Amino acid sequence: MHGRPRKASNPEDEEASAAKAVKLRVLQSQFMSNHHDKMYNSLFFCYRNLMIGSVSFRLLIICCLLDVLGFWASSYTKEAIELSTKLLEINPEAYTAWNYRKLAVEDTLSRIESDPDLFKSVLDEELRVVESALKQNFKSYGAWHHRKWVLSKGHSSTGNELQLLDKFQRLDSRNFHAWNYRRFVVELTNRSKQDELQYTDDMISRDFSNYSAWHNRSVLLSSLLARNADGFVPNQKIPEEYRFVRDAIFTDEDDQSGWFYHLWLLDQTVNVETPLLTSSWPSHGSRVNLSGSGGLNDSSSKLPSFCSESGSFPLILYFDQDVGGVSSSTVTIDSELKGNEDLVWEPVSNKSSEVSCVWVTRLKYTSTEPQKEYKVKLRIGNSPGIVSSRGCNFSSPYEFVFTAHVHDNVEGSQEGIVSWTDGFSNWDAQSVDLKSLVTFDQLNAHMDLNWRQEAIAEEIDLFRLLSDSKIGKLTLARLLVAEAMISDDAIKGVNYKEILKLYNDLMALDSSHYQYYKDEHTVALLHTVTSSTESLSRHLFQYSDMNNSVCLRLNKLSLSRIASVEKLLFVQMLDLSHNELHSTEGLEAMQLLSYLNLSHNRIRSFSALDSLRHVKQLRVLDVSHNHIGKHSVDTTRYLCSSPLSNSEWTQDEAGRQMPSLATKYWDAYFVLRDLNLKQLDISGNVIAGDEFSSFVTQVVPKLVWLDGQKVRS
Amino acid sequence: MEELSRITVSQREQFLVENDVFGIYSCFNASDFASQKFLVEIQRDKQLDYLMDGLRKLSPSFSSLDANRPWICYWILHSIALLGDSVDDELENNTIDFLGRCQDSDGGYGGGPGQLPHLATTYAAVNALVTLGGDKALSSINREKMSCFLRRMKDTNGGFSIALQILTYSLIIRMHDMGEIDIRACYTAISVASILNIMDDELTRGLGDYILSCQTYEGGIGGEPGSEAHGGYTYCGLATMILINEVDRLNLDSLMNWVVHRQGVEMGFQGRTNKLVDGCYTFWQIQGIVTESIIHLPTLTGGCNQYLTASGCRDMCSCALRSVHGGGFRDKPSKSRDFYHTCYCLSGLSVAQHAWSKDEDTPPLTRDILGGYANHLEPVHLLHNVVMDQYNEAIEFFFH
Repeated sequence: MHGRPRKASNPEDEEASAAKAVKLRVLQSQFMSNHHDKMYNSLFFCYRNLMIGSVSFRLLIICCLLDVLGFWASSYTKEAIELSTKLLEINPEAYTAWNYRKLAVEDTLSRIESDPDLFKSVLDEELRVVESALKQNFKSYGAWHHRKWVLSKGHSSTGNELQLLDKFQRLDSRNFHAWNYRRFVVELTNRSKQDELQYTDDMISRDFSNYSAWHNRSVLLSSLLARNADGFVPNQKIPEEYRFVRDAIFTDEDDQSGWFYHLWLLDQTVNVETPLLTSSWPSHGSRVNLSGSGGLNDSSSKLPSFCSESGSFPLILYFDQDVGGVSSSTVTIDSELKGNEDLVWEPVSNKSSEVSCVWVTRLKYTSTEPQKEYKVKLRIGNSPGIVSSRGCNFSSPYEFVFTAHVHDNVEGSQEGIVSWTDGFSNWDAQSVDLKSLVTFDQLNAHMDLNWRQEAIAEEIDLFRLLSDSKIGKLTLARLLVAEAMISDDAIKGVNYKEILKLYNDLMALDSSHYQYYKDEHTVALLHTVTSSTESLSRHLFQYSDMNNSVCLRLNKLSLSRIASVEKLLFVQMLDLSHNELHSTEGLEAMQLLSYLNLSHNRIRSFSALDSLRHVKQLRVLDVSHNHIGKHSVDTTRYLCSSPLSNSEWTQDEAGRQMPSLATKYWDAYFVLRDLNLKQLDISGNVIAGDEFSSFVTQVVPKLVWLDGQKVRS
Repeated sequence: MEELSRITVSQREQFLVENDVFGIYSCFNASDFASQKFLVEIQRDKQLDYLMDGLRKLSPSFSSLDANRPWICYWILHSIALLGDSVDDELENNTIDFLGRCQDSDGGYGGGPGQLPHLATTYAAVNALVTLGGDKALSSINREKMSCFLRRMKDTNGGFSIALQILTYSLIIRMHDMGEIDIRACYTAISVASILNIMDDELTRGLGDYILSCQTYEGGIGGEPGSEAHGGYTYCGLATMILINEVDRLNLDSLMNWVVHRQGVEMGFQGRTNKLVDGCYTFWQIQGIVTESIIHLPTLTGGCNQYLTASGCRDMCSCALRSVHGGGFRDKPSKSRDFYHTCYCLSGLSVAQHAWSKDEDTPPLTRDILGGYANHLEPVHLLHNVVMDQYNEAIEFFFH
């Protein structure tokens, strides 16, 4: 059996088996005609009639009854097993019958353990039933599962199974049940992964459109590369694979399979599993000016400074992927600042989980001893514990030092209204060295860059030839992004120019995916802005409040999302007005942000501002002229109903007293109650009005300015 | 790889489908306005006739669905509900009675009376009963026993699968006693638990890890770890992650990237990379996009319909996939109609109509409904795929 045509040993046997087949056919046809005669009259509701009518159904009922009996009497009659065989050959979906067989087989096996031949014949029979069931329906979950179950009983022959699979995979090369089963057999029998890789070679040369084969190739190679199995080293294998997939792509550029495999290769070329520290605030070698609630008294000073009412400042670590385990044991701090012995690190994300790419802690300082400099030294990853969500350890210990300069305190605090039009002066590149504020790209020193750069450069050259098609342009753009990721500033600048152009072309060429390209375009644009001190300083200003806050103006750039935040951790004032933003997702990493202008964007509800709840320093927020309340659409209606839907509640889940309108404006309530705003601009939104204003003043007790009006003194 | 130069089977099939669809489109474009209007009309009456007939009497070819009978109930009842209609009292009572007989005394529903309880048919039965609505239907579900059934399906020792490297997750859900383990099991169990208000930490523990391991580098989600990304499983995985509140753990950017590229030039959706488009994925995939847009950009943004051409797949469903018999929808123009594709084409159409509507009570804009309000369908709950009103009624019933 097992799909191998059996040779009849002698003429008698052959005759007998032919007679058997005729008999079976008669039986089956009887079976089927009976079954067909009795139409499925009211399949559902007249099922009592069916008891008399459909054989298949009657079989099923009998099986079920016997199944129950089997449970009681722990005995399985031959008739019942035969009936279930018949049934499953007609309808492999009858999972109840498969279960019956499993129980019956287990029962039999327990009694014949001592007889290996008998043991084998019982399991052989099961494999035979599965095979004929699969011939009826090779997408039957129950049948494939039964086969796995039989194999797990210790009965298998890799050769037979692979032959059977080959038969099915020739019939339907994309059948995922067959592919899953194949992976199962390979895993169970420890078949060599190299042989399997060769099999995908064969499948692909037979039909290069077969994405299932490409997919399996990626699964196999990942595992071979991870184990560094003989000769499977990335710097040789990956370039080889590029050449392999190239044939398929260049044969027919409209065929998707090769493109997706290419995307996987690209990912293997630039991404490393081990997490890395991307940036921090303060950055290495920088000097941080700190002051108390009033700010600096020396208003002539051009130095931007950080002031906090709580007498603490944030320390931000930004990783290239989500990590967990950042704590006082994995990050050690030597600080001359007193009272910072037991620092608590917190993940900054909306996720409830304990992983994030942004981690923050707060260092305390006092301004009682003015004009003093304190050295702070951080060591990250000296002891293990920082682990990525994929389970890779942070393995490149990093060390950095900065100085904190604590300034004199000034009495009285500033309560004036913040305007986004006056009070800005150009960035003085002379007096403030930007490099001390920003961590510019550090290439991963642990990565072997040569072969990666070579492979990508070669691909770029080739794909320029295909850049007339949509997918060709898209791939070229992605290759250029990848190259920029692992290259120095000069290449970066050139690449980003081309990337922006490619996405512009794509937006025009393929309008049905406009927003997707738009987002990618935005990401590339923000990369360009933040890629060098020169380009960044064009957007930087200083705001002439008492702290000379650093202001970044990224207005009127038609940005549709937020990106490159890791380079902007030092920004205290951010102007994102006149863009196309839908959400503030990403801004939560900017822990120094005190002033934020989001006016004239496409924010549709307060839930879109949710990430701002983590920006503890935020005092001024302008969301005027957005679409909040225009559509009372509560998109969360699909996800959860209002958590405050019970109108009898007067306290929220944190036990706080809720204002009367909290049920109506619950999405606003959840964001605003956690913000410590002094100034809010909401005008130009449908939600704005007297009722909402009075709600806001209740929820935000420290609010002084609302829509330009003083509401408290 | 010299052989590569010849045209592959997939390419030939793809070409044939494109030919069929574009043939229909060009025929449509060549028609005058009145014929166009006729061509795109869903033709409610014919749809309802087809569906109601199915509830009463099925042809023998349906015998292969013997173990999936609650599914037929759900596909038909949900389609009828999407069309804004309902069944008469007798049919309703018969259905409740029938599903009652499928309910196991130890909880859960089987594929038919006397069959073992199975998660997929349990999901179908619960959704069918929710779609019927009313105290009689809803109270016929034994929630206490259901809770026991779901817990029993949660495999704590991993069974035989624990022997395999790729399947070392200890907290997973099986489809039925001794049954297979995959992402459908997670989704159907969690959907049922969520709608019946019997979800707890014990049930959800470990599921997130399992689903995460099923997301492939392409961004989509496969049926089990190591598997190829697939539209139906992606929907199951995404919906489950939202329901257990762990959706942020998925790589949503790459998921979106994968889903948008599943829309073909025909405007329909394919289930996997380089497969033919199929009407039912209109629902599975568009649902994915809309759902993700919601989580991703917290609001349904005006721009997000440009991630895909909602209007495109709407056109595809309305003119190319409607069966020539008048009622029912089909996989692709060359295939014949069936209840499964009718249910998911209508569901997909409904999502396309309502995805960008302003709120629950506002009807969608005329431009979002091809063929005008005569083709208007009821909005559905994205995570359970039951009509919104029926979902709300069930929530009211089970949560208070």
